[in-house]
Amino acid sequence: MTSPMRIRANVRDGVVDVRVLMAHEMETGQRVENGRPVPAWFINEVVATHNGKTVMTAQWGPAVSKNPYLQFRFRGGAAGEKIAIKWTDNRGESRTDEATIA
Amino acid sequence: MSKFFSALLALLIAGGAYAQERFPGIGRPATRAEVQAWDIDVRPDFQGLPRGKGTVAQGEEIWEAKCASCHGTFGEANHTFSPIVGGTTARDMETGRVANLRRQDYPQRTTFMKAPSVATLYDYIRRAMPWTNPKSLSDDEVYAVLAYMLNLADIVPAEFELNERTIRDVQNRMPNRNGMTTDHAMWPGRGFGTERNKPDTRGPACMTDCRLEARIASSLPDHARNAHGNLLLQNRVIGPVRGVPTAPGDFDFDDAETGPMLLARESGCLACHGVAQKIVGPGFAEVALRYRNQDVAEALAGRVRQGAQGVWGNVPMPPQPDLKDDEIRALVGWILAGAPEK
Ligand code: HEC
Ligand code: HEC
Repeated sequence: MTSPMRIRANVRDGVVDVRVLMAHEMETGQRVENGRPVPAWFINEVVATHNGKTVMTAQWGPAVSKNPYLQFRFRGGAAGEKIAIKWTDNRGESRTDEATIA
Repeated sequence: MSKFFSALLALLIAGGAYAQERFPGIGRPATRAEVQAWDIDVRPDFQGLPRGKGTVAQGEEIWEAKCASCHGTFGEANHTFSPIVGGTTARDMETGRVANLRRQDYPQRTTFMKAPSVATLYDYIRRAMPWTNPKSLSDDEVYAVLAYMLNLADIVPAEFELNERTIRDVQNRMPNRNGMTTDHAMWPGRGFGTERNKPDTRGPACMTDCRLEARIASSLPDHARNAHGNLLLQNRVIGPVRGVPTAPGDFDFDDAETGPMLLARESGCLACHGVAQKIVGPGFAEVALRYRNQDVAEALAGRVRQGAQGVWGNVPMPPQPDLKDDEIRALVGWILAGAPEK
């Protein structure tokens, strides 16, 4: 089970500022618990789409912290439109959440 | 208000007439309004809690406008203070003990990991936040912004309304409601495997045969006094200053600040700007250095008035609508001159 992302998107002078907080364990694979290594489990791709068009992609590795915070900006969005964020992790699990640009 | 203070206050009010007899023309009883303005504490058992209400959605707007610049959009930031939100689980809400507090390797302790009582959060926000403009929120706004923080911490759902009744149910969901103990030293406390487990003070109120004169048992050695610079200039001063000056030489508290330095402090600028060093915004000396020999006073005055972002980083400076134009000009001129103490 995955938990929803928190997303805020605000437009100012035609530039949309997007902030995302994701809920994910982001295990590095280097941690040992009760004598056994905890398997690596982390988000390795993030894609942001606006009106069906990809506006940002990111490739991540195990160095990104637990519950990652991401901020980026793009031109061309307007208030009331939707922005969607999708992450996929190294187990193939994924999650998509949407927010309205304010 | 504590019983002790209620009793003291009753005495003071009743004693007004008495005081006037003994010292004719000196003082007067506090008015009801004065007492009310002063008596704002909300206790963990909700005594003192004002009526009111606010929703998560209303709180989000307040948070974005007045809190996010320092605490982060999701309460996650640690650039101004330790994060407000994070580190708690649904299981903690059942047990009332935050499991991550027992871990030595957990990176940070957030407000919601520690706070045992939701009433204390209400009290704290109402009296102290936003940091640069304390006591500026209405009671309803405090309810709303607290509702939003509780939602960020996954304690209440997105459509929740917090009011003087629902806040009691929230208390039963506070992740660390059973976690507070006082039977240990302030720092470093028992969890860190030290011997210092004795409370630093037990602080019982003395009612009979009390010692009349304070005895100083220990004090900061002279060589350490100024280790962190002049503390007076680094604190937000509210009311008369007590304590020992840390700056070398004669330092007159009453005469400590005049002119632009005083204006900068009273306008809340120094909560975000150090003179030499960055706090939330750049140190004023850094600003002076960056714009040395440039004609930027008017442009900077505009940025102070309307708010600014992007020149020094991502953190925004809020607008300053309450300052007069000549005050802003005086402040900017003083900053560009390197923000001298006098
Ligand atoms: C200019 C920066 C700034 C702004 C704006 C601000 N805060 Fe704070 N806040 C701080 C600082 C610094 C502290 C720590 C103060 C201290 O411990 O003396 C703090 C502490 C807190 C705490 C207590 C945290 C703890 O664990 O002790 C709460 C709750 C809080 N703020 C809520 C808010 C709310 C709600 C708002 C908006 C209405 C707000 N803050 C706006 C800087 C800010
Ligand atoms: C809530 C925190 C906060 C408060 C209060 C605040 N500032 Fe700022 N200030 C900032 C931040 C953050 C920046 C950096 C903005 C940027 O990157 O463009 C800044 C930037 C500045 C700058 C440089 C602007 C530039 O374009 O280089 C000046 C000058 C300044 N502040 C003066 C003031 C004065 C005067 C006051 C009081 C009236 C004040 N500030 C109150 C946070 C604050």
